Amino acid sequence: MGEGIKLAILCCNYTNLAEREDLYEVPARLEIKRFPCGGHIEITDILRAFREGAEGVCVCACEQGTCHNGKGNERAEKKVVGARAILQEIGISPEWLSFYYVPRLDAEAFVEDVKAFFSKVLKEKVEERGK
Amino acid sequence: MIIAERRPIPEILENIAPYSRVLVLGCRGCVAVCSAGGDREVAILAEAIRLAREREGKPIEVIERTFMRQCDPEYLEPLNELLPQVEAIVSLACGVGVNLIADLYPSARVYPGVDTSFYGANVALGKWVEKCRGCGDCIIDKTAGLCPIARCAKNLLNGPCGGSQGGRCEVRKDMPCVWHMIIERLKERGELERLLEITPPKDWRPAGGDGLRIRVRPDLA
Ligand code: SF4
Ligand code: SF4
Repeated sequence: MGEGIKLAILCCNYTNLAEREDLYEVPARLEIKRFPCGGHIEITDILRAFREGAEGVCVCACEQGTCHNGKGNERAEKKVVGARAILQEIGISPEWLSFYYVPRLDAEAFVEDVKAFFSKVLKEKVEERGK
Repeated sequence: MIIAERRPIPEILENIAPYSRVLVLGCRGCVAVCSAGGDREVAILAEAIRLAREREGKPIEVIERTFMRQCDPEYLEPLNELLPQVEAIVSLACGVGVNLIADLYPSARVYPGVDTSFYGANVALGKWVEKCRGCGDCIIDKTAGLCPIARCAKNLLNGPCGGSQGGRCEVRKDMPCVWHMIIERLKERGELERLLEITPPKDWRPAGGDGLRIRVRPDLA
């Protein structure tokens, strides 16, 4: 049932080099948006991804201590906290938004996180339908 | 600076529920510095409003602007052009800005986008703490520069109260007792005798107890 689901992945350009082909096992419509650094991902980018039709948004940034710009990855995590609070306020489950620290350039770990996120969204969707 | 906090978004959405074109208006003064109502917060709120309204099936057009200040009539002048384009304004300025818009543009439906909270200092990244309550008759010349009106839970003029324990306030344990701080500071300076003089009850009229406070500087007015 996942095929119809649209997921947006917002990530630092250096976090991974995985492309859509690497994510073929994830049966969702995926949109990968790359930013020059995790620190460039704004709350507005996250909200806009939802507005553009994503049902789940996943923010990925480099593992702690490996950000090119020092703390861009930590900033990304904080933006996710801020965005989750806003989603909650406007009645959208914050569970539709996730954050992952991903090892730099390790496409496999990245793919695993996207898969985990997809399963989470799928579960949330099933639960929501059951309500 | 004036510290503010964004109002709950559901309240803002309720205010603008009847409208389909609104202006979210930020201010580059205090509220921008305290990250409540500058360009960035305007963008976030505008996007949140669009998203919420689209989910409701009632899309809305949101114009985003940020003025240099909203507490000065001349900076509000671009509203003359903007007002015909929108049905309502959500202002992220402090209450001063919202009031001035309401005074000068009586036809504008202007709603506050923030709760104006206090006068405070930016003590750490993302943290602001109250330091002054604008009482209009400053007494901190006698208290080592530390304000007991704003920083003592009981606003005591002759403190500390009997509840001061180990430097903490009895009302809120997470708060240092400012009277403890005042006494320690004066003791260090060898000026403790300053406190022998009992401070009489405060005249609260300059604090607003006498109605609207107005300041006129004759050489400028
Ligand atoms: S005494 Fe009054 S004016 Fe002075 S710092 Fe305290 S509240 Fe502000
Ligand atoms: S403990 Fe100190 S700060 Fe708290 S109410 Fe008493 S005098 Fe004021």
